[in-house]
Amino acid sequence: MRRTFLLEIVMIAVAVAFLFPVYTLVSLSLKDPAQISQSPLALPAPPTFANFTEAWTAAALGPSLVNSTVITVVSLVALIALGSFASYFLARVRTRLGYGLYVLFLLGIVLPFQLGMIPLYGLVNDLGLIGTHTGMILFYTGIQLPFTVFLYTGFIRALPREYAAAAQIDGASHFVAFTRVVFPLLRPITGTVLILNAVFIWNDFFTPLVYLGGSGYETVPVSVFAFVGQYVSQHGLVFAGLVLGAVPIVLVFLALQRYVIKGFASGLKG
Amino acid sequence: MTPLTASRARPARASRRRFSVTSPPWLFAAPALVVYAVVVLYPAVSGVVYAFTDWSGIGEDMSFVGLAQFRTLLGDEQAMGSIGNTLLLTVTIVVVQNAVGLLLALGVHARLKSRALLRVVFFAPVVVSPVMVAFLWKYIYNPDPSSGLNGLLGLRVDWLGDPSVALWSIAGMVVWQYAGYSMVIFLAGLEGVAPELHEAAMIDGAGTWQRFRYVTWPLLAPAVTINVMLSTIGGLKLFDQVFAATNGGPGYATETLSTVLYKQAFVFGKYGYSTAIALVLALFVAAVSLVQVYYFRNREVAA
Amino acid sequence: MTDLLHDARVSRGQFLRMMGGLAAAAFATACSTRPQTSTPSGGGQATTELKFIGVSDQKAPMDQLVAAYQKAKPSVRITASYAPTDQVQTSVRTQLGAGNAPDLHVVYPGSGSAMSMSQIAEAGLLADLSAQAWTRSIPEGFKPAFQLDGKTYIHSAGSSVIGAVYNKKAFEQAGVEAPPTTWSEFLSVCDRLKKAGLVPIALGAQTPWVTQLITYALVPSTVYAKDPTFDDKQLAGQTSFAQSGWREAMEMYLELQKRGFFNDNPNGTTFEQQTSMVATGKAAMAVQVSAVLPDFRKAASSPDDLSMFPLPGAGDAASVWIPAGVVVGLGAAAKGANVEEAKAFIDFLGKQENINAWAKAIAAIPLVQDASSTIDPAVESFLPFTKDRAVPFMDQRWPNAEVQPVHFAVIQELLAGESTIDEALRKMDEAYQK
Repeated sequence: MRRTFLLEIVMIAVAVAFLFPVYTLVSLSLKDPAQISQSPLALPAPPTFANFTEAWTAAALGPSLVNSTVITVVSLVALIALGSFASYFLARVRTRLGYGLYVLFLLGIVLPFQLGMIPLYGLVNDLGLIGTHTGMILFYTGIQLPFTVFLYTGFIRALPREYAAAAQIDGASHFVAFTRVVFPLLRPITGTVLILNAVFIWNDFFTPLVYLGGSGYETVPVSVFAFVGQYVSQHGLVFAGLVLGAVPIVLVFLALQRYVIKGFASGLKG
Repeated sequence: MTPLTASRARPARASRRRFSVTSPPWLFAAPALVVYAVVVLYPAVSGVVYAFTDWSGIGEDMSFVGLAQFRTLLGDEQAMGSIGNTLLLTVTIVVVQNAVGLLLALGVHARLKSRALLRVVFFAPVVVSPVMVAFLWKYIYNPDPSSGLNGLLGLRVDWLGDPSVALWSIAGMVVWQYAGYSMVIFLAGLEGVAPELHEAAMIDGAGTWQRFRYVTWPLLAPAVTINVMLSTIGGLKLFDQVFAATNGGPGYATETLSTVLYKQAFVFGKYGYSTAIALVLALFVAAVSLVQVYYFRNREVAA
Repeated sequence: MTDLLHDARVSRGQFLRMMGGLAAAAFATACSTRPQTSTPSGGGQATTELKFIGVSDQKAPMDQLVAAYQKAKPSVRITASYAPTDQVQTSVRTQLGAGNAPDLHVVYPGSGSAMSMSQIAEAGLLADLSAQAWTRSIPEGFKPAFQLDGKTYIHSAGSSVIGAVYNKKAFEQAGVEAPPTTWSEFLSVCDRLKKAGLVPIALGAQTPWVTQLITYALVPSTVYAKDPTFDDKQLAGQTSFAQSGWREAMEMYLELQKRGFFNDNPNGTTFEQQTSMVATGKAAMAVQVSAVLPDFRKAASSPDDLSMFPLPGAGDAASVWIPAGVVVGLGAAAKGANVEEAKAFIDFLGKQENINAWAKAIAAIPLVQDASSTIDPAVESFLPFTKDRAVPFMDQRWPNAEVQPVHFAVIQELLAGESTIDEALRKMDEAYQK
């Protein structure tokens, strides 16, 4: 008992140390310039929310939030639909070709993004999708498929085949067996897929900058960094902008955090 | 997750006879394959072609130069130096991030009152954008003795400005952000270790260390595999954090393969050469991953 | 075989079509939700949408002038986006590379960067602006920054200077009455500032572009005052960094460090910290480009405390020269649906009152001046030099984009004590010859 208590104290101390950067971020965003230069480490006294109101209006975050949300949500739906179906096939198929296809998907994890950057931009441009949500959604769905397939396939391989087989004995097609029986069993890993992909898509800065810059459809990171670039010398204001940009994804994480650990836990058993 | 394991044998055999050939149809994978091919494979393959040209990145002028770009790479002092930095950074991140992640996982796996909260705290940095984290740490790493990390610890270190420290500072920032990621994967592995095994070992008189070494550690093998692989790939491809924190400096002290290939393409206007470097990087990452998978799978089987 | 391949020049357009035709054709018709560039509006009149991509420093003047243009010409809508320099460079080069340039985008004057006028114009991607009236008044000395082979490809509202941004209160505190006019005066002023407990010169060398400013401020006096045709000789291979006054400038740079006139750890200090040190009076001055004066003023409690003086890089006041470079500008894409509309906007920017407005927003010296032109009082002390003792920023005449980043890196190495001036100049000469 005493050892557990001791461990608890140690872990809480570690957590406090771990939170120092977060403390720095939030406390600076609540200080005016004088407080930042005179007492950079102290608690904001008194806290000011002026940085937040100014950052919100100057960075025009309202419309960006809508763009980011649309792009992230639709990409996630597409990723989960395409990824889970494909992984079910890849996990269950027993031919060499099927295995080769799996390896082909994993190849996508090791490729540096710079390799195909210009040809991909050219292609999206030829499709008439530059400056559109559709273009971004297509991009994210493709670029995140390898990791999604990796997570789903590992999980499905650990699932017994009997569930689907039983449904099929009852006369269900593969499609029905997958959507009605197997997919609900994937819930934990779907949670993991959801949060990790959401994190990547929401935070991605470079691609939306290139694809959406000047279109009026900018995402949150693009707006935030344009704002940051303009006010670099004012740390309070910049940090307020960074906090505003991160809040939505942190909230989503807090709502889904149970699944993250569970998903990994069940995925690893295979 | 496996309520049916006990009754697995019989129905499986019965069903397999009737449904033995009915793997799901190819159609299941087709839409994903098409999108993947369009967004990832096609651009990568057509991008590779530039590695054999002298294209600047803009305009119509381009000649095929064969393997000349790869020969340039061999004689390029700076690019070669960046390979050393990349390896050093990767090894540091892989070792430290996973060691910290494992310790955190062991800590929050115990029956602590605050463990749910602690898990959230340690994982939270993962969800924040790497560029934003770099912005924040750039402030934290400022050399002023009264603010940031120096202020907290009473030090006078020039974290990002001293060429002999900067690379380690970047590693520290990356470890801070991703230790929670490793923790979660280890935690998943720990939850798969049946408590009975520990009890049995305890009855046999095994101490804490022995139980960890002979019970927990072997069962963590799959988690170790995934963690080492993901952090290796992440380390070798690391770009955003270096780019935002130091942009390769001071001097060339934190230049990695990713920053060099970026600069060649977009700062120096040598797209062909940049692609050659990207190709080498891709082959390198693929080779390292393959070796790791092979090595760790063997180890898992042995354990 | 390799030679055959080497000579097989292909058009990139053909190449891309060959590679991408199939995939593109399959999807081209699938889903197109792209907002039309020409959408019918109100009374059946078409609205043209122009896309502009710029760097963050351009936001203030552009916002103002885009709004004015909207009033003057309601049928054209300009959507602008801004980001820090590195990101914009990547974004615009990707778009140029894929053959989809934005209608208007940031362009750097001269030749020394991947986004510079001559590199993009050489690739045939910038529209020729030579027919516009304002181009006829480009001062002779600035022509290399604006023109390639006699044609103008970039618009810029004026020039900025590099010198010392100083805090008047800090100077008063140390009993310094007038800004120094020679190098030895400058050193003794620094000495007095230091004795008064101030950091004489704030240096934010962690931010790469800041590293170059002290050399840029000194080289006009140590190189160009002695040989105004240095650039041409260097291009012709008759001289080099190592054989010129560049060596002296670097020695002076390091002397400032050796005497303890910089803040501690310049390599770990950013531009932002440098700014706030001077603005708050912790440091007395910073060698900076006048275009960032607004940043210093924003960070200061009373903006009037800040002013500038030319950094005297020579032993006698009459041989001091200054750097005055054309500020970052913009160009129009040569190909695309809206070339004429884009050029019309640039023509609008070229009007005297708009040049004045842009220059005012970034404390620049207007390209051409009239009665209503204003010149920021902080840069007035530079005006006597601009006629015949000023040279453009050095990189604007460098032949490739590699010299400048090498200059950043070697300065950081020198400040860290990890290199020698010989080594630094050798690396710069190597990059120059690439």
